[in-house]
Amino acid sequence: MKIAVCIKRVPEMDVNFKISPSGTTVDETGLRWDMSDFDGYAVEAALQLTEKAGAGEVHVISLGPDVVQETLRKALSMGVARAVHLKCDRVPFDGFAIAAALAAELKDGGYDLIMFGKMSIDGASGVVQFGVAELLGMPVVHACSKLEITGGTGSARREIEGGGELVSFSLPAIVSIDEGIARPRYPSLKGIMSAKKKPLDIKPAQLGAVRLTVDKVELPPPRAAGRIIGEGAAAVPELVQLLQNVAKVL
Amino acid sequence: MQHTAFVLVFALAFAFFSYNAQRLVRYLRVGAADDRLNDVPRRLWNLLRIGFAQSKILRDPVAGPVHALVFWGFLVLQAGALEIFLQGLVPGLSYARLLPQPLHWLFLLSQELTAAAVLAAVSFLLYRRIVVKPKRLQGDGVHSRDAIFILSLIAGLMITLIIVAAADRVLGADYPMVIQPVSAPLSVALGWLSPSAAGALRDASWWAHALLILTFLNYLPYSKHLHVIVSLPNTFLSNTSGPGTVGAMKPMDLETDAEVFGASDVTHLSWKNLLDGYACTECGRCTSVCPAHLTGKLLSPRKIVVNTRQRLLEVAPALIGGSDVFGMPFIGAEPNDAVATAAVLEHKLLDNFITEEELWACTSCRACVYECPVSIDQLEIINEMRRNLVLTESRFPEEVLPAFEAMERYGSPWAFQPAEREKWAEGLDIPTMAEMFERGERPDILFWVGCMGSFDDRAKKTTVAFARILRAAGVRFAILGQEESCNGDPARRLGNEYLYQMLAKQVIETLDRYEVTTIVTSCPHCFHQMGNEFPQLGGNYDVIHHSTYIERLLADDRLPLRQAEGEKLVMVYHDSCYLGRYNEVYDAPRQALKRALPVVQLVEAPRSRDKGLCCGAGGGRMWMEEPVGQRVNVERKKELLSTGAEAIAVACPFCMTMLDDAGMKLESTVPVYDIAEVVAQQLADG
Amino acid sequence: MPNVLVFAEARGGELRKVAFEAVTAARQLADQSGGEVHAMLVGPSGIGAKASQLAEFGADVVAVSEHAAFADYAPESTAALVADRVKGGDYRVVIFSASAQGKDLAPRTAAKLHSAIATDVTSFALTGDALVVTHPGYTGKVLHTLTLVGSPALFSVRPGAVATKRTMGAGRVESVAPSLDPSSARVRTTATILGDTRKLDLGEAPIIISGGRGLKAAENFALVEALAAAFGNAAVGATRAVTDEGWRPHSDQIGQTGRLVSPDLYIAVGISGAIQHLAGMRTSKCIVAINKDKEAPIFKVADYGIVGDVFDVVPALTAAVKQAKQSPH
Repeated sequence: MKIAVCIKRVPEMDVNFKISPSGTTVDETGLRWDMSDFDGYAVEAALQLTEKAGAGEVHVISLGPDVVQETLRKALSMGVARAVHLKCDRVPFDGFAIAAALAAELKDGGYDLIMFGKMSIDGASGVVQFGVAELLGMPVVHACSKLEITGGTGSARREIEGGGELVSFSLPAIVSIDEGIARPRYPSLKGIMSAKKKPLDIKPAQLGAVRLTVDKVELPPPRAAGRIIGEGAAAVPELVQLLQNVAKVL
Repeated sequence: MQHTAFVLVFALAFAFFSYNAQRLVRYLRVGAADDRLNDVPRRLWNLLRIGFAQSKILRDPVAGPVHALVFWGFLVLQAGALEIFLQGLVPGLSYARLLPQPLHWLFLLSQELTAAAVLAAVSFLLYRRIVVKPKRLQGDGVHSRDAIFILSLIAGLMITLIIVAAADRVLGADYPMVIQPVSAPLSVALGWLSPSAAGALRDASWWAHALLILTFLNYLPYSKHLHVIVSLPNTFLSNTSGPGTVGAMKPMDLETDAEVFGASDVTHLSWKNLLDGYACTECGRCTSVCPAHLTGKLLSPRKIVVNTRQRLLEVAPALIGGSDVFGMPFIGAEPNDAVATAAVLEHKLLDNFITEEELWACTSCRACVYECPVSIDQLEIINEMRRNLVLTESRFPEEVLPAFEAMERYGSPWAFQPAEREKWAEGLDIPTMAEMFERGERPDILFWVGCMGSFDDRAKKTTVAFARILRAAGVRFAILGQEESCNGDPARRLGNEYLYQMLAKQVIETLDRYEVTTIVTSCPHCFHQMGNEFPQLGGNYDVIHHSTYIERLLADDRLPLRQAEGEKLVMVYHDSCYLGRYNEVYDAPRQALKRALPVVQLVEAPRSRDKGLCCGAGGGRMWMEEPVGQRVNVERKKELLSTGAEAIAVACPFCMTMLDDAGMKLESTVPVYDIAEVVAQQLADG
Repeated sequence: MPNVLVFAEARGGELRKVAFEAVTAARQLADQSGGEVHAMLVGPSGIGAKASQLAEFGADVVAVSEHAAFADYAPESTAALVADRVKGGDYRVVIFSASAQGKDLAPRTAAKLHSAIATDVTSFALTGDALVVTHPGYTGKVLHTLTLVGSPALFSVRPGAVATKRTMGAGRVESVAPSLDPSSARVRTTATILGDTRKLDLGEAPIIISGGRGLKAAENFALVEALAAAFGNAAVGATRAVTDEGWRPHSDQIGQTGRLVSPDLYIAVGISGAIQHLAGMRTSKCIVAINKDKEAPIFKVADYGIVGDVFDVVPALTAAVKQAKQSPH
């Protein structure tokens, strides 16, 4: 079984971000970086699929400047067999521009499955996989929380509001991964050591046209100071109203 | 005729013994290399003190003296055993002919008294085994049969020895009764025997004695009493009481191309770990002081060692050739394919003998190592196996993962940002190393706060208290502030050597950049790590624990204290494992308390100082759940409360947390203070 | 005048609330550009009857496609249908909901059309030639202002970002046949299971309700579970004190040594707010605290607090949430 997983290097989310002077990007000073969460689940899911099948390889591919090689090495230390770095100065926001570069690389790979995290945790658009699917003429199943492959068929579960959808499809296919499938394994020292020797190919990225541009990035309005809204059950209606209309979580 | 028979028997017995000895020594080759011939003077001292003087054996007030008696008696009786074999090989030879009379009489008396004493001792020990059945002599699959057989053999040896002496007297040996106080009366009782009968009795007893010795010798390789031969060399070769740094985990080179890191089987342990297996007497003292075992966990340090020996005996023949002589080819053969089945080879120590549950239950308190009379290092085996679980297999309790990830990302086992490390110092105007360096200044000491001291609410109070003490004493100190990061100790204890080395090297780099030479810290784990283990990675600093530092300040009168008022305060001090057993710091904290609070009446918990019961947080257990048995911290808190103390003093933030938590569970109102808090409260500036 | 196309999501033969939000958004834009709002309504036989509901929120045209294959969500055929409609018309903007379905449908359609797409948008405007939208990223910590190039521009609107507004539209119904034979679809939804929300892992749940010592006994966690069930997409957490007592399993523990969570909504029930617990949840987007002690530290980090007896407040809140959820789903 040959699986390719597309991964992205993103900053750790547990910080208070600042905006860079240009106003169009986040200030990267002091940020720590890692593989995007959903991409990690996808890599783990891919490894588990090849382990279960008893044979096969997982390849990872990432787009961006040289630093993304750290993230590719991390995937290698988890057990991925080879990595490809598509080199470009900056990762565009437009997922379809990225998709063109990925599709060009994946086209002749002969992959049974091409996997993505359902969205990157920083850009949070969730469109790249659809662009790749269209360019390669492959079916795409989005946001799988469960995934099983038997022979040439796949079945998956997608979470929807209040329930789930069961989906079936045939290989080769593109699949994007949601939470719930797998927790990324902690790389063993052996994995870390052998990652240094596994192949990591560097190629120029053939980006597509960019039709979605970032005009600016801003921080959301600061959280208003917390307050006690009332006492006892009588305060509940106001709480519900606030949750619905202000916090928008209900 | 007898002479020929004896020579034959002697030769056979010795050959058989020699075969087994060689076999067992060869088996040790299955293990990895280990240099144990450094610092011979220290090793000789250990041998004298722990081996010959039986210092650790004597820690048990009942069985200790009795065993010591048997051991010393055994040494004395060797003189007599030697005479027997000389006589057997060279008829007519005897000490009577070789030694001047006073010396010979001394020899006779020594044998006599020793035989009687040993017989009495052995009778007591048999009674203990068969009737009293102490708890620590059971469990872990150990059998009393072995002990009872050996004790009986020894009894037999003593009895035959006395009978030979008595029969000799009947046959005419007329040494003064006073030098043969046991065999003399017996010879009187046997006086009715005819000379030929007495001669027959004498020969029979003499042969019985010789055969018993040879049987004893050849039984040893098949028994836990192998320790009779192995324990003295083991004590010499052991590092548990030095040489080198006591309690430091084994250094590990991660740059190798090894397939396996840490130990999953005996082939990954060193030959010394395997020798420990031979040396184990199955006495169970280690298990009887293990906090995990005492609170119902599966872990038994004795079992760890016994399993190691069992596995070695199982797999070594397959790997290195030769086995039990019955039915198998002589030693020196090729690896024994008949035995080297996949089943045997794959029946590894990890999982098949020793389970993960046992390994993770350990708090690394070192009580087992400290207690072992033959200087076995149980903890080293546990640590090497933890390293295997984490580094080679990524197998560890899932609640440990957040701690690993946090150490990787935030440089702290808890997910707090580096910026929050200085929060405790707000408003206290304490200079950081960076600030001092910028001004061209250097502090006298670096106050290393540690992660607990920086982030944990309760521990922060200790940090502030100690800072106040330093200030009151006029010490020029600095902190690293945001530049401080975890020294990796939790990662190392949990077996994650890779993460540990990464973190430790970062800290060493920071410390060296600031040219730090002296560090004072309020955390015993940081103290042990940076003082004793950093040298392995090239970090050499003089590290002092705050209790020692405070005691020195008090002894030097550098702390202005207010007059103590009020009635006596009854306090019990809880020894931290990493201060106490690891670093032998028992008195400084107690002295500090007494000096600061002369009104304090220090009471001791039943188990204190080097017998102190662990709080349960060590060995990385602070980050693990405790799903089995009673809580270690609750056990310890109960013990401390049983002293009737009005307050509990600690010198470690982990002990503080564990005892506080236990206090909540027990709904106890007895407060827990850090030494620094107690002293700070007494500062004259209020 | 270019029109605005909007996909109105339906499920089980009923329109979902997000459909009306999307149509409202379409109406806003259409009013700006002076065009019409065309809504697409896809479903099994009979769905067409709901077209008038869309008109109430401003749809001028409702293009209805009824087919048995649309009983469950059919990703490829639905996307093909929308794409064909776009190609056959003159649309400036195409709007979807950023619901679970929309997160699949919108980019899928955009890829077919090779057009620009912005997903999960919280505000939008046509300024001159450009469609400019706001899109939150970095787990909601950074807002992007994006410009979409080209026409049509596609975007999906975040559920709850647009307040529905009733405006009568012309509501002309057109019937559209599915262009792609649903049975040739390579991705088939074989079942839609409702009411079967898998037990949400604490790490994923958008809403977490946590209980502490204030609940007094293990049985009382039933209150917390009922509140979680009322929300539907909530998981139940616990403090260390409670897991130590054995009331809840250790895997539910939130805090320094337990789980670190960052949900959209964190409700702390009967929790005082010891620092070890706070370390585990203080990055939650919205924190609500219910505790009878008004000095409890938890109120310092909560956005909204109710001082009161949890045994009174929680059932009342549960009832209120159930009611709020019952408005058109």
